[in-house]
Amino acid sequence: MIATWYAVVSFMLIIYIVLDGRNFGAGMLHWFVAQTPEERRQVIAAIGPLWSWHEVWLVGFGGTLVAIFPRLMASAFAGYYLALFLILWCLILRGVSIEVGGHINDRLWQTYWDFNFVLSNFLLAILFGAAAGNVARGVPVDAQGNFSMAFFTDFNVRGYVGLLDWYTVSIAVLAAVMLAAHGATYLTLKTEGPVHDRCEIWAKYLWIAVVPLLAVVLIESRIVRPDLPGRALFNPFWWIGLVVVAASAFTLLTGLTSGRELRAFVGSNFLIVGLLATGAAAIFPVMLHSTLAPENSLTAYGVASSPSTLLCASFWWPIAFALAVFYFIFISRRYAGKVSVQRDTQGFY
Amino acid sequence: MNSIFNDPGFWHRLQFGFTIVYHYLFPQLTMGLAWFLVYWKWRALRTGDDKYNQAVRFWAKIFGLNFAVGVVTGIPMEFQFGTNWADFSKYAGGVIGQTLAMEGMFAFFLESAFVGALIWGEKRLGPRGHFAAAIAVALGSQISGYFILVTNSFMQHPVGYQIEANGSLGIASMSAYLLNPWAFVQFAHNQLAAIVTGSFVVAAIGAFYALRGLHPIQAKLYLRAGTFVGLIASFLVAFPTGDQQAKMVGNHQPVTLAAMEGKFEGGPMAPVALIGQPNVATQRLDNPIEVPGALSFLAYGHFGSFVHGLNDFPKDAWPDNIELLYYSFHIMITLGTLFIILMGFATLQNWRGRLESSTLLLWVLMLAFPFPYIANTLGWMTTELGRQPWLIYGLFHTRDGYSKVVSNGDAIFTLIGFTGLYFVLGVLFLGLTWREIAKGPDEEAVITPHKEAIA
Repeated sequence: MIATWYAVVSFMLIIYIVLDGRNFGAGMLHWFVAQTPEERRQVIAAIGPLWSWHEVWLVGFGGTLVAIFPRLMASAFAGYYLALFLILWCLILRGVSIEVGGHINDRLWQTYWDFNFVLSNFLLAILFGAAAGNVARGVPVDAQGNFSMAFFTDFNVRGYVGLLDWYTVSIAVLAAVMLAAHGATYLTLKTEGPVHDRCEIWAKYLWIAVVPLLAVVLIESRIVRPDLPGRALFNPFWWIGLVVVAASAFTLLTGLTSGRELRAFVGSNFLIVGLLATGAAAIFPVMLHSTLAPENSLTAYGVASSPSTLLCASFWWPIAFALAVFYFIFISRRYAGKVSVQRDTQGFY
Repeated sequence: MNSIFNDPGFWHRLQFGFTIVYHYLFPQLTMGLAWFLVYWKWRALRTGDDKYNQAVRFWAKIFGLNFAVGVVTGIPMEFQFGTNWADFSKYAGGVIGQTLAMEGMFAFFLESAFVGALIWGEKRLGPRGHFAAAIAVALGSQISGYFILVTNSFMQHPVGYQIEANGSLGIASMSAYLLNPWAFVQFAHNQLAAIVTGSFVVAAIGAFYALRGLHPIQAKLYLRAGTFVGLIASFLVAFPTGDQQAKMVGNHQPVTLAAMEGKFEGGPMAPVALIGQPNVATQRLDNPIEVPGALSFLAYGHFGSFVHGLNDFPKDAWPDNIELLYYSFHIMITLGTLFIILMGFATLQNWRGRLESSTLLLWVLMLAFPFPYIANTLGWMTTELGRQPWLIYGLFHTRDGYSKVVSNGDAIFTLIGFTGLYFVLGVLFLGLTWREIAKGPDEEAVITPHKEAIA
């Protein structure tokens, strides 16, 4: 039961990252792939109508985390206090720059909001990447199950670590590059004209850059958490994750080389899902590893709600999820197709 | 001074209070406006008159702006349960987390999937599809309101829970939790109050156009709908829903009722104070003008009913800011009464065909729109201040709920951050809303065809 809920909660966060990740990526590349004001409106229009739907996955994840793993939510959110507020403020800035940029047809106004849009998406990719690094590395959880940490301490990965150290920074860089590649793949699928052509090139180079970065992070992870791989070998989800990674990497590669854009985008989505799922399976059942003493670590079994509470949630969650899938189908059909400069850039966005 | 800086609980409360009050300025309009959109879309379908479609197009834009600010200011709310109220989440997360998650998954997915379709999808979806999108968005906003009010009602009147082995709360009966009687009354009261806000805003913009002599057909439409719906909703928000809400407080939280009325000594024939300021130091109401017996009658149904005073309860059970609670409650009631009078008079003038020509009334209607926002905010302040010193009534103290690992300075820092960010957000929102109002509803029914191409 608790393992299933761990999978469900991880799944919701992964869905959020992969859905909003395309917006982060598109946002980071915004200034590079779109050069005229019209092209910039085109990029915004490509992600515009759906960003709030994507953000709801974060809300759903947050609520489910409170209900299922209240003690983890309490410990982690209070511990990451300032970092989380940076994420929240960047999310506000990002949402606002999407919504207000197109309201006034003025160069200066739009340039200003486009800049905020790029900046906030870049920071979000870095912050979420660093957050993932923190979960993988662990945080200084004390015997009471609490922690609070500085932005950085001595950049080391043991003992009283900070939010940023060499390991989490390298994961943040990987996250930024990979989400940028993901965003470029999405924009290739979603746009036409010069933006499309530039994104196609960006996507290729960024995905090539992902390969060495990913290799570095994997080697680093082996050093930072030598205890992990052994346990993961016995987790079937870890193996499934690996299969997804392999299959989606192949799909992505063939999609990119043959110019089949939908195929590449599907591959890109599943590659990120697979990598994150592998990571989530590898750390299970520990949800928050303690860098001070392993026995302080918060495990899914230690922080979960009571069985009766979990049972209640298992009644409504599948219904809610089925509805979400239904909306997803509606949205996908409604917003299918490419966004063009001529047609789509003089409207709301 | 020193004591405030040394009390982290104060800063966590202030931050949550500030961010939630600010956030709720936006959903209260979207929840109220959603029904206007459904109504006009329905009229457009029935009559084929394009003025209703014009109204929907215009108000959907206002709705969209509010919705966007509501989304970005709403996400911090949920996260603050963990960041600022970690000990509360640890204690009650298994219960309140259920409805927080359900709100996201049942309501926000629905709303955010269809809000784009409502704002830009008219041509693509066709009249029926567009009507369905309006219903979906309205439904989503109601579901969201219900789940969050179930969460709040649990804090006011905990039901359906059990205390687990580790001392935290878990769900004993999901149906009892979701069907909390407190939630029904609070939901009806709150949603009607949102419709009051919506109708005042609709009427205010109608009055603005009428005074300017702009968009006469649209102005008439907004004025008529705004004042009539405003009258019905203002009435229902007071009776029966507000009345029921106060009775529930009287039955379950008698000390709160005593504080709301600034009543220190208990007794039969308890009066309602029309004017007066509670003086906690001398334990009496200064310069009171009272209606004798009214409180006994309103709260318990008989003029002779005994109503408890604050002195019947130990001091540590008193709400911790009696003056603020008293003012919030009384100003809300006063405003609510004035709303009924104003909208009643406007509706009367409308029936006599004099609404659009009565300049003074139009001025009042135009300038009245901030007051429902104030009344809604004060209603929530009454609810939340009245529950003090409890976070979950009778179970868990507010002072036990905040995150002990978060330092005072961090809480003050983020509060200042929110203040700055929300100021900028407010300026942007007002500026952009003003632009939409100045642009006005398109007379010749231009809908942006380029937008449709995305669809």
